[in-house]
This record gives sequence, C-alpha cells and structure tokens, in this order.
Amino acid sequence: MKKNLTLLPAILLTTWLGCGGNQEATAPANTGVNGENAEKTKGIIAYTPQTLSNPFFSVIGDHIRAEAEKNGYEILIVDPDYDVKKQSDQIDDFIAKNVTAIVLVPCDRLSVGPAVQAANKAGIPVFTVDAKCAADGVKIEGHVGTDNFQGGELAGKAMIDALGEKGGKVLILDLKRAHSCVLRVDGFKKVINAHNKEADGKVEIVSELDGNGDRTKGYQSTADALQAHEDLDAIFAINDPSALGAYTAVKEANREAKIKIIGFDGQLDGKQAIKDGKIYADPIQHPDKMGKQIVQLVIKYQAGESFEPETLIPATLYTKAEADQDPELK
Amino acid sequence: MKNLDTGKLLSDYGNVLVLLLLCVVISVVTLEEQSPRSTAAAENLAAIIVGDAGKDANILILVRRGEGQQEFANTLKNTLSKAGLNVTDTVVGTPADARAALGKQTEALDVIATDEHMAAFCLEQLPNLSKKYPTLANTTAYQPKKHLWPNFLKKENLLNVLKQISVVAIIAIGMTMVIITAGIDLSVGSLIAFSGVITALSIQQLSGGADPTTGHLVLGCAAGILVCALIGMGTGGLVTLFNIPAFIVTLGVMFIAKGLAFIFSQSAPIPIANEGFAWLGRGSDLMGLPNSVVLMLLLYGIAHVIMTHTSIGRYIYAVGGNPEAARLSGVPVKWVLVFVYTLCGLLAGLGGVMEASLHITGDPKSGTLVELQVIAAVVVGGTSLAGGQGKIFGTLVGALIIGVIRNGMNLTGVEAHMQSVVYGVVILIAVMVDQLKNRAQKTN
Repeated sequence: MKKNLTLLPAILLTTWLGCGGNQEATAPANTGVNGENAEKTKGIIAYTPQTLSNPFFSVIGDHIRAEAEKNGYEILIVDPDYDVKKQSDQIDDFIAKNVTAIVLVPCDRLSVGPAVQAANKAGIPVFTVDAKCAADGVKIEGHVGTDNFQGGELAGKAMIDALGEKGGKVLILDLKRAHSCVLRVDGFKKVINAHNKEADGKVEIVSELDGNGDRTKGYQSTADALQAHEDLDAIFAINDPSALGAYTAVKEANREAKIKIIGFDGQLDGKQAIKDGKIYADPIQHPDKMGKQIVQLVIKYQAGESFEPETLIPATLYTKAEADQDPELK
Repeated sequence: MKNLDTGKLLSDYGNVLVLLLLCVVISVVTLEEQSPRSTAAAENLAAIIVGDAGKDANILILVRRGEGQQEFANTLKNTLSKAGLNVTDTVVGTPADARAALGKQTEALDVIATDEHMAAFCLEQLPNLSKKYPTLANTTAYQPKKHLWPNFLKKENLLNVLKQISVVAIIAIGMTMVIITAGIDLSVGSLIAFSGVITALSIQQLSGGADPTTGHLVLGCAAGILVCALIGMGTGGLVTLFNIPAFIVTLGVMFIAKGLAFIFSQSAPIPIANEGFAWLGRGSDLMGLPNSVVLMLLLYGIAHVIMTHTSIGRYIYAVGGNPEAARLSGVPVKWVLVFVYTLCGLLAGLGGVMEASLHITGDPKSGTLVELQVIAAVVVGGTSLAGGQGKIFGTLVGALIIGVIRNGMNLTGVEAHMQSVVYGVVILIAVMVDQLKNRAQKTN
C-alpha cells in the first residue's frame, strides 16, 4: 500500500506528460533534398512571452505556431507567468535543448539580459516581440512591435473628434514603468498640443494618474479624479483593463453620459465595451500580424538573407462602426 | 521482521525512489534525436566524407557559431586536410555568413560539411542557390549521424536543473531547521528581494557611481546577507519573547520586507555595473560545475554535520519534538529558536545575493512566492510540519524532485497553470505519504 502511494506521483506524471506532448508538431516533408544526410525538420522555434494568461500574448503565440508549422518548423511555447527568474530558467532550458531560434517578450527589460547573453554565447539567435530587451551587451537579431507613439497619436485624434468643437478637460491614466505606455501618452500629447495651437476649443489635460494597467487601480484613480474635477469631459487610458476600470468609476458617479473614454489594445472585452458604447474608441494592436512577422524574420535570418531588424506595426483605430461589423462580438 | 526493514527503508529513502522514477519517466518522454557536437563526431563525419567524396574533392565547412563550435569546425578541417581533401573555407557563423561563403566559391564545390543547424540551412537554401551559382550544382551536404538520447539527460540540462534549484535548496536548509522546531518562516521570499536590493544599493553607494571593484561587490553582498540575518534574528526574538506564533510574525515580516524592497529601490530594478558580479549565479569554475551548485552542496554537507553531529542539531530536534521536555532537560529553547530563524534569514539573504547575481540586478520583484517553493521542498523532502522530524538531505531530494518536474515540464512544453496543478498534487501526495508513514510507525 505504502509503496503504491509513493509511486503515485510518478504514475500521474507519466499519464500527464504523455498528454503534454502536443507541441511536437509534425513538419511537412521537404522537397528538393540535396544530400542523403539531410535533415527532415528545419528545427525548433521556442517562444517565451510575459504570460499566456493575457490573450494578447497567447494570440501572438497562436500565430507564431501557425506560421512556424506552415514553414516546417517545430514550435515550443512556455509561460513564465511574469516572473523573470522563470523566464531565464526557460531560456537556459532552450539552450540545453539546442533550439534553432528563441522568440522572447522580456518579463523585465534589464534582468533578462544575462539569460539572453547565454543564448548569444551558445550561438542561438534571439528575437523579441512587443517589448524590447534593454540590457547591455546582448545581441537581438530582430524585433517586431507595435508603433506605440503612432497609436498614441491615433488616440489623440480620436479624443479631439470625441470632444468636438468645444474641446474639454481630459484625465490620462498612465503606466509610467512600461516604456510602451509612456510612448502612447507622448503620441497622444503631441496631437493634443498641435491641436491646441490652432483650434479655439482647447483640449486641456487636467490630470495624469497611475492606472497601473489594471481595472482596480484604473477604478480608484478615476474615482479620485472625478471628485477633484467636477467638469471632466474625457479619459484616455493606456490599455483596456484600466479603461474599463475607469468606466466603472464613471458609471458609479452617474456621469457616463458626459464622459467619453478612450482605451488602447483592442482586447476582446475592450472591443465589446466599444460596441456597448462604454468606451468611445481604441487604437488597436495586431498581435496576429506580430506573431506572423516575427516568424518571417526568423525564416529570413535562417536563410541568411538581409532584413530590417526592427518592424513596427501601426496601430489602427477601432470605433463603434468597426465593432458593429465584428463577428467576434455578441 | 523482514517486513519492518523494507518499511523503514522505504520511509527513509522513499523520496529518493520517487526522484529516480521521475528521472526515468522524464528521460523517456524527452527522448529525441541528438546531433553530436564533439570532436569525435567531427572525426567520424570527416571519415564518412573522405570515403564518399574521395581525394581532391572541394569541401566547405559550415558550422553555426556558439560555444565549442570552433573546435568542431577545426577538427573537421584538420582531419579532412590531412586526408588530402581541399578545404576551401571554414565558416563558424550565422546563416548570413554561410550564404556569403557559398556565393564566393570559385571552383565546383563537392561537399559541405555541417552541423545540425547549418544542415537545415543547406537543405533549405541549396536548391535555390545552386541555380544562381553553378559552382554549387553538384554539392552534397553532410552532417554528423544522429542518435537517440533524452534531452533531460544531457549534461548541460542536468547542470541547469541543479543550478535552477540552488537558491530554493539553500534557503530550504534554514527552513528545514525552522520546521523541525515546529515553526515556519513565510518571509524568505521577500527577504530575497530585500537582500538583492540592499546588495545592489550598497554596491552603488560604495563605488560612488563609478565602476565597482570586486571588493565593493563582496562588501555589498555581505551587507545584503547581514541585514537579512538581523531581520531573521528579529523574527526569532518576536517569536520567543512575545510568544507570537511564527506564522503571524513571519507574515508581518514578509509584507514589511517586500514593501521596503520596493521603497528602497524606488520600484525599479537596480543594475550592478560590474559583469564580474555574475560569478556566483552564472559562473562555473570547479570542474564545470556551476558555482551556485558547488555552494549548495557545500552548505548541505555542513548542515548535515550540524544536524547529526553537534549539540545544536540535537537541540533543534528536541525543541520540535517536545519543547517543554527539552526545556526541563536543560535545552536553551529560546536561543535555539533565535538561532534557527537567524540562520533562515541569513540563507534567504544569501539566496537574494545569488538571485541578484544571476540577473546582475537587484530586483524588488524577485523572490515572489519563493517561500512556498521552499516550504514545498521541505515537505516533499519528508520533514513533518508538526516538528521534531526531518532530514537535511531529504530536503535536497525534495528540492530536486520539484526542480526535475519543472524542468521536465518545460522541456515538453507544458503550460504554466498545468505546472501549478502538478506541483499541488505532488505536495499533497508527499504529505499523505508522510501521514500514512507516521500512522504505520505508531501501530508498529
């Protein structure tokens, strides 16, 4: 009895590791084989994002998988769950596995550096998606990200459009520790400042608060701002969760008829909120394109072709008109 | 009688058995074709090429850059040249370098000798390139013969596993002692972050913004470790003087240390401007063993001696078994408790320094939930939360079990939330086994 119990974890693991092998993709047979000792698959592309619980990163992962398998690569996806230590361990595991290329969304743009250096030393090319690695002495072969500054400009234009000729008072919910979100606010302000020089109906930024990129803090900061500014007209939040948190606070204060909210990202619940009229508009990112293009960079690298090391994918504006046409939404 | 012996054997070494079984299972599921990269493999490959291509053949050597790759290429080159073949060029580099080298061939190229990665490149690119460059029309690519071997059992991977558990395992030494006294320390995860931040800040202060010297690094580490030892001492003091349950005291310390780590670092990771700081976390000096692993094994050896051959070791067991009886027989119960919490804090501080060294950064976010991994390692290692029982090497085995499972799941690509479920199941089973074991011992 005791012996059986001791064995249980191992038995459990056997069954479950057996099921976990779904990442072993079968590569299509290659044609034009030149040489009898030639390979059958082109190798493994390994992907470690910040987390897979955020749909943004899992959509990138899905498209990396699809594009990689289409081109004859195997794909290995792991989830560090925002923990840079776990992510570094995963990169070490990739190196031990001698993968063909590593695609990375750094959990921390500095701390991940030594792990990337280890991959560099092993000769494995490293690519980044969405967020960059800013550590010293690392070699990143390619990067695909969103043009966050241009996305911020789109948000600024949408804001001017939403407020109309009279202009109005705006609250910004930012996330200063994320470089991408700082760029969004910079782009937003550039458009607003240019507008204020020419137009009569000025758009005045009355407050910039930390929204922490989540609903809880977005709600709290907005609730405070609503107390301080009785005449607030609009809110720009740097992502959907904080925009939705802001909406909750606005609704609680019964001011949803007057206050317009602009978010960012275009996650599913953000899009739904736009359709329901809770959010005015979102500059949206395109994780599908990001996943596809990063694999294209890997393929070009592997083929020894020259390529532009950085691709920025423009954000596009998503309003109620687009939401009404969107088959994804209820 | 015989029955009793196997029972004892199983209860003493049951988790070693589980560890071995896990290794076997993971070896089987990570079995994969491997392309050898040794110099012997290069010699074999050269022999095959010489046999197939004959003398006077033109050969290009293409190998992906990386550690040890230059030797592989050189061995190929020397062996082939010795056999009289004409090596036109040797490239250790990126696919772009390979493409350039192929374009530069002036005479008809007969053979490309490659490693696994460049073989994939040749397979893909040769058909097109041969249209562009007539010199490549009759070129054949060769790579070393593949063999089946588990990814898990590769030397680099096994060293990875040891390296990855080293922080948790080292802190688990202190935690084992704390738990044997029937206590608990929830603050160790936060102390990792706190120690890392204090170390990084001390180094910054000591070097005055300039490049820190090795002396600055050592002093900084000492500061981080010492501060955490003092915090541990404070914890022990609160537990003994005010008789507050360890769970509550360490819960409080956990929040305080985490908060202070963020305040002192102003919520941003603090980089350490000297690559030499990575020595402890990423270096490997002794026979290829990572320094963190050597340190771990050394500390386990010392801890084992302390627990089995010294009076303080016996006191720790006595306090956990029955504090009142221990006090009456002259054991300084309070000092023993202060000692174990101080040691636990000190080791957590050391863990924080190792973590900071791994990333060359003092990061206030590091160490999150590590306390639970440490407790899990201790429990899986067979130490009873009721106190009085437990073995230091059992904890090492517990840490290994957790590390091996994690590594196995990463190598096969199991997603993070499923990993969490598996950890939970393993911990529950370990505790169940522990309970049944105790019951069996009582009835015997």
